[in-house]
Amino acid sequence: MLLLGESAGMVSDSVANASPLPSVPISKDFAKKKRANRSAKLKQCKLDARREQWLSQVKKKGGKEVWEGCHGQRNESYCSMGNANVTRVADAEHYGSFNQESDSGFRSNSPVRFNSAAGKHESGSNYGGSSTSCSSSAGYCSGSITEEEDGNDDCLDDWEAVADALAANENHETPPFDPPPEEKSIGRSQSCGVIPNDSERSTSESLRTGSKFALVNSRAWRPDDAFRPQSLPNLSKQHRFPNSNRCHGDGGVPWFCPGVLPAPTSCPICYEELDLTDSSFLPCFCGFRLCLFCHKRILEEDSRCPGCRRPYKQDPVKAEGSLQGGLGTTC
Amino acid sequence: MQTSRARLFKEYKEVQREKGADPDIQLVCDDSNIFKWTALIKGPSETPFEGGVFQLAFAIPEQYPLQPPQVRFLTKIFHPNVHFKTGEICLDILKNAWSPAWTLQSVCRAIIALMAHPEPDSPLNCDSGNLLRSGDVRGYQSMARMYTRLAAMPKKG
Repeated sequence: MLLLGESAGMVSDSVANASPLPSVPISKDFAKKKRANRSAKLKQCKLDARREQWLSQVKKKGGKEVWEGCHGQRNESYCSMGNANVTRVADAEHYGSFNQESDSGFRSNSPVRFNSAAGKHESGSNYGGSSTSCSSSAGYCSGSITEEEDGNDDCLDDWEAVADALAANENHETPPFDPPPEEKSIGRSQSCGVIPNDSERSTSESLRTGSKFALVNSRAWRPDDAFRPQSLPNLSKQHRFPNSNRCHGDGGVPWFCPGVLPAPTSCPICYEELDLTDSSFLPCFCGFRLCLFCHKRILEEDSRCPGCRRPYKQDPVKAEGSLQGGLGTTC
Repeated sequence: MQTSRARLFKEYKEVQREKGADPDIQLVCDDSNIFKWTALIKGPSETPFEGGVFQLAFAIPEQYPLQPPQVRFLTKIFHPNVHFKTGEICLDILKNAWSPAWTLQSVCRAIIALMAHPEPDSPLNCDSGNLLRSGDVRGYQSMARMYTRLAAMPKKG
């Protein structure tokens, strides 16, 4: 719950900051003049940037561990990462270049720095407390935060410049995406994140990169930015949704079958022929097959499998989890 | 409505195709109403109902097969789980344990199984249930046999 609330806060932050950010001039003098009355917003921006860095590390390290970890743990940590994912900016391999570049561009900026440092620690501890992922990743992340503190605290312009540079490195691969569809696809990536097969993994990988670009797009480029690639589309919802939909659908259907029952040719409920989609649809781990229409009707009624009378799991993730458990006990 | 009708037509075809496959069950659909069926079932052997033919009435709801059919005995029967006057049947699969995978045919089979294995702890016919619960199997069997002869067997002569 706390995470959700924070991520919502971050989203609103990014939205709120979208307008002041483009007005930040490239010249440093102008930025210094403006800094006094915008220090609050800057602080917020930096908090966001800090979170993004931190989260990208969590994602990278925690995600790798957790794929091999136990089921429940993977689920939880992945979800928390997915939530936090909203404003993440870069993967770990980009993180290094991020640090270097921002070091080169730094100027002294002490008042804001103190504020942001305090705020950052607060947010960092928040994440460590609220995310249910393993404590090792939380510890790692707090460490990385203190590391980057020396160099990275200083100013927003650097961050922006770095983001621009990052984007310039990466924009030839994928077009950026808008934040709102990104949030949705992240929600979906949580639901399918527990399935450890390759296609899912690649899907979530693409989701990650997608979210990275989403951030880059929403912050780094102004509409009139000279560095903004001409080929970038403004909206890419169509681009995002098929991916996430497919991901969601895969998550809902356990394709691997326990092999209990041979596939019938007609639905045992309505006696209609099963088409290809129906015959590959296995909603319950007892192996009872039925057509999608009847399944939907049953979900609207008592929602129990006709074959075993156990309740259908509405949530694909939960269904997946119990499927694993059922396999363990019955096979 | 449409689904239940389609499903009942399919069941009707199935019944016609497999006529005589189960000699103990004879399912007949009402001529004018696909939602009204009657069934004739033979009393299982080695029970007091052996030799009797019992008539069942099916009233099928429009939500069928998601809702179970309402089944009752039209023939008088002395059985702990059948109401002696109304013919109502106390059977879990006709209530909360119903599954849409069941058919009218399988309901008939379940009722035959219930006749062979009464459940005296949830009686609709308390006299019958009390006889069994008190261990008076002979009393129960003679009563059941008597009512089978009276109600479920064709009159001789």
